Amino acid sequence: MRIGIQGVGLTGGFGSGVDSLQAALQSGKVVTQQREALHNGEVDIYPAYLASLDRLEEFIPKRALRRIDHCSRMTLLAAHLALQDAGMPESERSRIGVIIASGYGPLQTTCDFLDSYLDFGYACSSPTHFSNSVHNAAAAHLSMQLKTTAPSLTVTQFEMSVPSALLTAQQWLIEGRVDRLLFGAVDEQCEVLRYCRRQFFAAGEQGPLQPLAFSTQSAVVGEGAVFLLLTRDEVAAYGHIDEVRLGNHSVAPLSLSDDDLLILGADGHKECGRWYTQAARGHEVAAYAPFYGSFPAAAGFDLAVAALSLRDNRLYPGLASTGASTLTAATPGELNGRKLACLKFGSAGEYGLTRMSR
Amino acid sequence: MNVKEKLKRVLIEDLNLEDLDPEEITDDMALFDEGLGLDSLDAVELVVIVQKHFGVEIKDMVESRPAFQSINTLAKFIEERMS
Repeated sequence: MRIGIQGVGLTGGFGSGVDSLQAALQSGKVVTQQREALHNGEVDIYPAYLASLDRLEEFIPKRALRRIDHCSRMTLLAAHLALQDAGMPESERSRIGVIIASGYGPLQTTCDFLDSYLDFGYACSSPTHFSNSVHNAAAAHLSMQLKTTAPSLTVTQFEMSVPSALLTAQQWLIEGRVDRLLFGAVDEQCEVLRYCRRQFFAAGEQGPLQPLAFSTQSAVVGEGAVFLLLTRDEVAAYGHIDEVRLGNHSVAPLSLSDDDLLILGADGHKECGRWYTQAARGHEVAAYAPFYGSFPAAAGFDLAVAALSLRDNRLYPGLASTGASTLTAATPGELNGRKLACLKFGSAGEYGLTRMSR
Repeated sequence: MNVKEKLKRVLIEDLNLEDLDPEEITDDMALFDEGLGLDSLDAVELVVIVQKHFGVEIKDMVESRPAFQSINTLAKFIEERMS
């Protein structure tokens, strides 16, 4: 069954809302911010794509946000922008299902809670930090804000979180468990994550991000949230999700159609790069990670770019710094009815493939 | 910074009362309901805040309930135990 995409909402390093993403894609400009962290007594300065929450108060009063952490705030903003984009009235929101994909969950809050436990003991561990530290907190906050009584779920499978969650979303709609579904992806940047990435990747985290330079570690950390409002309707504002597939290329090699135009989830992680060169050889490819950064939930942003491209019948150009590649970079311009396929690889050859069409 | 001023600052920071400035919290303003608008979950957070920032442990919530009326009563409770 084809799944219709009726609305898109997102916040990331490019700004908030579909218009901001479209403006970034058209201009080819996204500026990373400089972050600072203390590392062994030294100030560690690094680039990061950070999400803006400026528009959140359009939807939720400040006081109502006080027990809601950064990860859930990004979630709420992106979800409300998706509902606004779809023109969904408040009266029709009580039966919307919620599925969220996250590679790390609310990492900063989890670390804050552990810090308070380690520094001050059990008695001084914040109950608010604890309740926000569970992975399903963002989905719960969203369901409560929408007053929806439909099911909600959070899926965490690191790099495969998005395709795995999308497979479940598709199933819920096919089974009729929900009529409408807010499908989202969210991840946040925090100091502990920076520490880990610095240990693993060292100078390879300084950018610029070159997603198609597969033999180079060029990842740049990012954060953000993206939501798609999905329905079973044949008429869809953006386009349709035709197929979602999960597998492992090293076990059962991925077979692509000759006419697949691929949006790669390549995000500068060298250890994933070889899988793209193996599986996507001979295909036209595009990659958009330089617009939002390297993090597991960014695969959801690839879906949003694909949806926007289908709506506008236009393949948007990637950034100039995409780097040399062994694959054929797709030529930006009119799609002329071509289908798109978002392909995301993990480091062990696990993949998620999402085929989409107008 | 005296206890009342510090209390107002940490309440805003730790309870994320981002819509308030310390000057807007008066010393006799009720902490719960109509005053500052705190609720039962905040009461648990207050116990954590008092211990974390002032080193004062609150073991019996029923006995300590009068201290949670306002900034004045909570500051007095803290000052008595700190001394």
